[in-house]
Amino acid sequence: MAKKKYFVKRKKVCKFSAEGIDYIDYKDLDLLRQFVPVSGKILPRRVSGTNPVYQRKLTRAVKRARVMALLPYVGD
Amino acid sequence: MPLFELGMVLSPDFGDEEREAFLAEVRQLLEGQGCTMVKEDVWGKRTLAYEIKHRREGFYTFWQFEGPGTAIAPLEYRLRLSDEIFRYLTLNLDRELQRKRKMDQLRADRKAAKASAKAKAQAQIQAQAEAAAEEA
Repeated sequence: MAKKKYFVKRKKVCKFSAEGIDYIDYKDLDLLRQFVPVSGKILPRRVSGTNPVYQRKLTRAVKRARVMALLPYVGD
Repeated sequence: MPLFELGMVLSPDFGDEEREAFLAEVRQLLEGQGCTMVKEDVWGKRTLAYEIKHRREGFYTFWQFEGPGTAIAPLEYRLRLSDEIFRYLTLNLDRELQRKRKMDQLRADRKAAKASAKAKAQAQIQAQAEAAAEEA
């Protein structure tokens, strides 16, 4: 019989509400990169645990950064 | 008057002097429209995330200025006409920061309320202690 695999569930926290970041600046690349892997895609809420309000702000910031060629549209 | 933020990506082929002349022209245009510069944040040359006009680098500057909203249309018109400017982005920072300011205010108020409540409680305790000492 196959051994059942167990996973330790880690509680996901919204970084923005936890740290009180109210405005997500598109120039803050260190922050944005935490939510944009090398693929260039924005991490979904289901993965990052971000609150809906902040996910929308984050999306907007990432898209602005893309326009300004600070982040790629298509990653590696 | 609202606070604006203007981000610009300029061509790397632009010589330092030419670039300064161009930026001075834009600055003059803004001031002519009744704007006042608040901050200039120059990032300098930086690798682009993707090629623009077959260039891999761009010169980044970010300005903040206060002025009437009517200044934005002529500004963007001028920027669009220029070949040396790869990208620009104007934001109304007042609108962007609305929520942040509100939340900051809220947090400050809460902190003040907490501090005053604490001070009040401490004063009460002291008064009680003094009353007890007087009785004894």
